[in-house]
Parts: sequence; structure tokens; C-alpha cells
Amino acid sequence: MTPRRSLLSPRRAQTVARVVLWTLTLTALAILGFILAFVLGHGLPRVGLAFLLEAPVDGGRAGGVATIVVGTLEVTALGLVTATPLGLGTAVYLVEYTREGRFTRLIRFGADCLAGVPSIIFGLFGFVLFVLTLGFGWSILAGGLTLAFMMLPTIIRTSEEALRAVPAGYRDVALSLGASKWQSIRKVVLPAALPGVVTGLVLSLGRAIGETAAVIFTAGSSLPRRIPRTVFEGTRTLSVHFYQLAREGISADNAYATAAVLVLAISLINVTAYAAMNRFIRRFA
Amino acid sequence: MSLASAALEARRLTIGYGGAPVVRGVDLMIPRGSIYALIGPAASGKTSLLRTFNLLALDVDRARVEGEVLVAGEPILGRDVDRARHRRRVGMVFATPQPLPGSIAHNLTFGPRLAGVRARSELAAIAESSLRLAQLWDEVKDRLEAPARALSGGQQQRLCLARTLALDPEIILLDEPCSGLDPIATLKIEDAMRSLRERITWVLVTNNTKQAARVSDRTAFLLSGELVEAGPTDQLFTRPSDRRTGDYLEGRFG
Repeated sequence: MTPRRSLLSPRRAQTVARVVLWTLTLTALAILGFILAFVLGHGLPRVGLAFLLEAPVDGGRAGGVATIVVGTLEVTALGLVTATPLGLGTAVYLVEYTREGRFTRLIRFGADCLAGVPSIIFGLFGFVLFVLTLGFGWSILAGGLTLAFMMLPTIIRTSEEALRAVPAGYRDVALSLGASKWQSIRKVVLPAALPGVVTGLVLSLGRAIGETAAVIFTAGSSLPRRIPRTVFEGTRTLSVHFYQLAREGISADNAYATAAVLVLAISLINVTAYAAMNRFIRRFA
Repeated sequence: MSLASAALEARRLTIGYGGAPVVRGVDLMIPRGSIYALIGPAASGKTSLLRTFNLLALDVDRARVEGEVLVAGEPILGRDVDRARHRRRVGMVFATPQPLPGSIAHNLTFGPRLAGVRARSELAAIAESSLRLAQLWDEVKDRLEAPARALSGGQQQRLCLARTLALDPEIILLDEPCSGLDPIATLKIEDAMRSLRERITWVLVTNNTKQAARVSDRTAFLLSGELVEAGPTDQLFTRPSDRRTGDYLEGRFG
């Protein structure tokens, strides 16, 4: 059989590949840029100090989003605070205390399945369990716990990766210097894994803060009458607020402004978290 | 040699990881205050022996160990042995320099702080004296708070040695400590070993037979998990009693 002559010389194929890959990358970036420009372009002009500091008036037709911002932060923070110890603890157990086997594969498979469950199913589950059965009602508590369940798989998997990336030698060294297993984990392994763990937390936080379906069933959708003071009060999150404003045709302007606040908040969280992490790495490593 | 002068003793020691044992029925007597070299080709069981002496084989590698290991006459393989305390007595330096993240000072005080030393002045004194013993003090005295990773490979390994010395151990196990180091860095480590031989018993695993001949008082030759022969280093190198020892030393296999 004679070798089939390629249409392109290797050099030309290389050029084509580079152009194609460059174009694909550019497209991905362009989509992000377009969304950001669209949301911020429409919303940002209406976001001022007043919008951030005033409660919504007349169902959101006027006023700002102050109560909603606080409610959103509370729901998300509660989710993060609940999910972090659960997820990190599971990851530590998987990496440090079990050997790879059927049991760890089962846990990991479970976490992956959990990650694939649509958020509205989480919402329904949270509604049945927290709102009805446990009697929390539509509340920050129910919303936060539901978000925690959603964040859990991401936190487990990213923490697990981060822990596995810590050189095995660190554990040997810590033990050889008289540390117990737990001391070696707490004083050496966890600090070394922290940047990776934080990345996972930030990723899941970003997903959770913009989550709509899971919280509309659990934290509620009615406008809070004041800044929520206890976790038993209901709230409307920014994304739900946006959804209501847009879908009910209440105020397109304020819908865009809300979206802009949400996008800015997520960016702010990401930037701050990465900055804090870099400072930590510089100081620690 | 009386039993009391043995710093470390292995009796019919067999080590395995589930399959065929990698160390079989090894008897070793390591006299106090000596430098003892373990030599042998790859997979001869040298590292398994060291990691068993330090009990890392039990805690980390999940090895199955039979026989006995005695440190200063006390058996150490039992369940009731305080392993952290044992590892403070029997320190270990690993093949690749492995500084922990953090500063030079942090590395040196890590062990003592775990052992309960709190006073800053005491920790500083420990750091200085162990750096001096490892012949690193002059090079790092002005930058103890600098990251340990900023040191060169040879300095890192001396830092690891100093870190082990900071716990004032009776025995130090060295697992090919100079395999990645240049000759000068190697000499500095060997100098430190020689100068501390009075107070510390050294067990040196090495693939470098010249190093064993250079620094050790006694040498044991292992092959495929069995002890072929052990004895005073010059005798073993000049008049080995087993043909396989001679073959290995002359590079005929391994």
C-alpha cells in the first residue's frame, strides 16, 4: 500500500492548527466578554450607591436591592459555612484515612452523581425536607442548607485533588519528626493543600451565589420587608429577584441593574479570594 | 560486643507488603556510636529496613513485619510503643531533600514544638545549635526567616539533617541522603556524621559503595532481602567472606 499523501504538509498543518485553536480560544473569550458587556452595559448605569443601599419599593419597580443583597449573602454564606467542613472532612477522610478501594470509589461516584443532579431537584428536595418536614418554612436556613448540599460535591472533589497533590514526602517528614497522623494533616498537609481547597470553595461559592432554582423553593421568592435578622426569615436572592423582575415585566431597568450587581459581586468574590490566596502562598511557601 | 552496646538490633526481621516478603530473616547488630552502612543493589530491602526502624513502614506503607527490632534493648514493634516518642529518638533523613513549606526556622522548630518546647529563646537556641551541627549555620544565620525552598539542594539536605538533629535523637537513619547532591555537599554531610559519631549512631543506606567505604565503621551487604554478610567496613571491602559481596563491590552485578 502506498502511503496516502496528506493534503497538507506538516508545516502547513501546524499553521492551520494554530489558527483554528486561536480562533476557538478567542470565541470562548468573546462569549464571556459579550455577556459581561451586555449585562454591565445595560445594568451598570442604573447601579449607584442609592440602588445598593435602598430597599426595593413597589415590588422592585423602584428603590434598590439592599435587603436582597444582604439576604443573598446570608444564604450563600450559610451554605458555604455548612458545606466546607462536610466537604473538606470527607476529602480528608478519603485521601488520608482510607485506601483506594470499592468504598472510596462508591463515595466518589456518589459525589459525582450529586454534582449531576439538576438544581431544581435540589430545590424540591430542600423544600420537602427543610421547608415542610423540618418546619423551617421559606427561610435563609432552608435555602442555605440546600445550597450546601449543592456545593458539597464540588468541594469534596476539589479538596480531594488538592490533598492528593501534597507530596507524600511531607507526611513522611512530619511523622518522622514526631507528629501524630492528625498533627501531620493539620500542620502540614492541610496548609499545603489550602490554595487548592480555597479555589474549590470559590468556584462553588460563585455557582451558589447565582443559583436560582434551588433557592426559589427554599429561601422563598417574596421580597423581604427588612434586612433579615434571623436565619428563620425568608428572603429573595439576587438571581430570583432578577428572574421575577424580568419575567413579570416589572422593571427591565432594575432587572439589568440587579444582574449587574450579581455579576459584580461574583467577580469581586473571585478577585478577593485569589488575592488573599496569593498572599497566603507567598507568606507560607 | 556486649548487648548493652547495641544501639539498634534487628532479630529475624521479615518485612512484606502483602506479597512475597522483601526482607527475609535479617539479623543486624548496630553498635552504639558508630556509622553503619547498609549497601546492596536495588530491591535488596535497604529502605524497607530503615522505614521499619523508624516505624514509617507500619504507619505509612502498611508493611507486615515479623521478628523483632530493639532500640537500646527495648522492643519497638509492639502496639503499646509511643511512636511519636520513638521517632524523636530515631530520626530519619530522606533521599530527596524535603523541606516543609515555610521558613528555615519553621522547619527547625517543627519537631521541638510538637515535642512541647514553647519558649522562643529555647527554640532559637535549638535552631542555632542544630544548624551548627549540620554545618549550615554560617550560610543561613542571617536569613532564618527566608523560605527553606530558596536554599540549594545541598543546603536543603543539611537543613533536613539539622531538623532531625533538633530533636536530639540517639540514632539517625539516612536513606541515600546524598544521592542528589554534588561531591562538596556530600562531604559536608559526611563531615557532620563523623563529628557527631560520639553521641549519635548513624545508619546509612547508600547506593554509593565508595561512600560506605569512606565514612562507615561497619557495613552490611544485603541482596534480595537477605543479609549476605556484615562486618567492619575495611574487612568487608578488602576480604569479603561471601563471593556475592565481592562481586557486588566490583560492580559485577547490581
